[in-house]
Amino acid sequence: MMLEVKNLLVFFENALALNDLSIEVKPGEIVAVLGSNSAGKTTLMNTISGLILDRKKKEDRRNGERITIMGEIRYEGMEISQMWPSKRVVQGIVLCQERHPVFRDSDVLENLKIAGYLSTRRAMRERIEQIFRIFPLLERLKRRSAGLLSGGEQQMLAIGIALMANPRLLLMDEPLLGLSPLMQADLARAIAEICRTGITILLSEQFARPIMPIVDRGYVIENGTLVFSGTRDELMDNPEVKSAYLGL
Amino acid sequence: MWLIVYGIISSVILALYAVGFSLTYGVSGLPNFAHGALYILGGYAIWNLMNVAGLSIIAAAPLTVITCGLLGFGLYWGLLLRVRGIPLSELVVTFAAGVAILELLTWSGFYGIRYSLPVFWEESIEIFSVVIDGQRILVLATGVALVILLHLFVRHTRTGLAFRGLAQNERTALSVGIEADWIGSLSVAMGSGLAAVAAVVVLPLGMMEATIGYEVLIYALAVAIVGGLESTTGMVLASFIIGFAQTAAARYIGPKWMIIVPLAAIVLVLVVRPSGLLGKFKELEERV
Repeated sequence: MMLEVKNLLVFFENALALNDLSIEVKPGEIVAVLGSNSAGKTTLMNTISGLILDRKKKEDRRNGERITIMGEIRYEGMEISQMWPSKRVVQGIVLCQERHPVFRDSDVLENLKIAGYLSTRRAMRERIEQIFRIFPLLERLKRRSAGLLSGGEQQMLAIGIALMANPRLLLMDEPLLGLSPLMQADLARAIAEICRTGITILLSEQFARPIMPIVDRGYVIENGTLVFSGTRDELMDNPEVKSAYLGL
Repeated sequence: MWLIVYGIISSVILALYAVGFSLTYGVSGLPNFAHGALYILGGYAIWNLMNVAGLSIIAAAPLTVITCGLLGFGLYWGLLLRVRGIPLSELVVTFAAGVAILELLTWSGFYGIRYSLPVFWEESIEIFSVVIDGQRILVLATGVALVILLHLFVRHTRTGLAFRGLAQNERTALSVGIEADWIGSLSVAMGSGLAAVAAVVVLPLGMMEATIGYEVLIYALAVAIVGGLESTTGMVLASFIIGFAQTAAARYIGPKWMIIVPLAAIVLVLVVRPSGLLGKFKELEERV
């Protein structure tokens, strides 16, 4: 098993954001976490990537919101729930955050170079070439400032940024959010291509139809609680999943 | 012509005062109010290295820069880490550290005619009938060299690119393995080292005493606020606006206007355009 999340509980003050959540991801899979707004998808992604620890540290410093995390996160058999996010990146867990977060004042190429912080120069060059093969449009736009890209182009770049960190488990938080149907289909194809290069993918979405063709398995969460899990076919056959997340 | 030549020199001196402060704030969002103290501490260090330890200026100058850089690094891990992300506390801690350094220097007797640094080059040259001494030529050369080196550093080195990443989006930087505290501490160290570079080349132009640290902090703040806190181009532009205004005011009104000009510029900019000429954020004005 590549990732095992067991009985995860996350509280923001007394509000329960994730309630006894358990999920698994096997190597080479594309696994989807489906849920509506405020279901806990982003909290789950931030907890697996460790970014929640950074937020917790900042809140603790200023006596702000009390964040409590309980449960187990195992990555390739190693318990990582207290591991700092940058160390998780070194281990191969990389998060592509929601709403295409890029380095807006830098051009596309510089964005990728910044994201290659942990790479050697040679590995950086090879990865940039690989990203340009997956997203040829980015190569044409490589001198354009990231802040001037369209939403879809920024999302491609955000995925490219994550790929520069050499992930083995790529977490993608709502990668298709706010994009046109055409761009959603293109990105879904690109995500499948990334998986074929040997990168395991765990992604979250609230509208699942564009990604269902590429997904192996999925989990449905509501109010931080797991309500359904199954293969793609099982998800597509479930009437509640169909009406709530597939628009059918 | 005199006004142009000396206006440029004043502008470059201001840029040298401000570059370290701007770099630290631009990368990590930390307003290092100990910047002026680190500047004068740089002067104190090089004076001691030359006059007490007997080192040549060629050996003492880099040692001074490294010492101040390490002190900035220590300032981050020893004091700032505990208040990181709490703007008012960051300001209070750095200001307190700066005052402590300056008062310690004053208490140790760091004032008077014996504390002066030798100039690097005693010759003078004449440009368009205006005589410029060698030290001021060195100031100009250092300013230009720093701009070029910093540009190359932030665009072409791994740490420089991490500086740019952290400055733009801390969470994304963290999600690709850039450690905010490590890079933040390097930015404070580098800013402190740059304060020492300014001290090494500018202080031979006059007397040294601890209170100069307060003036340098005001100049650095004025340039950073007028230019826009996170904008390097804004910093250079503001240095030239304030530098020329200072030179003109000193020549045509009186020398005491040298310090009034930057203070007036701070007030004017905070009233008219709080984010500065080329700035995007409005954070430090609120902190100040």
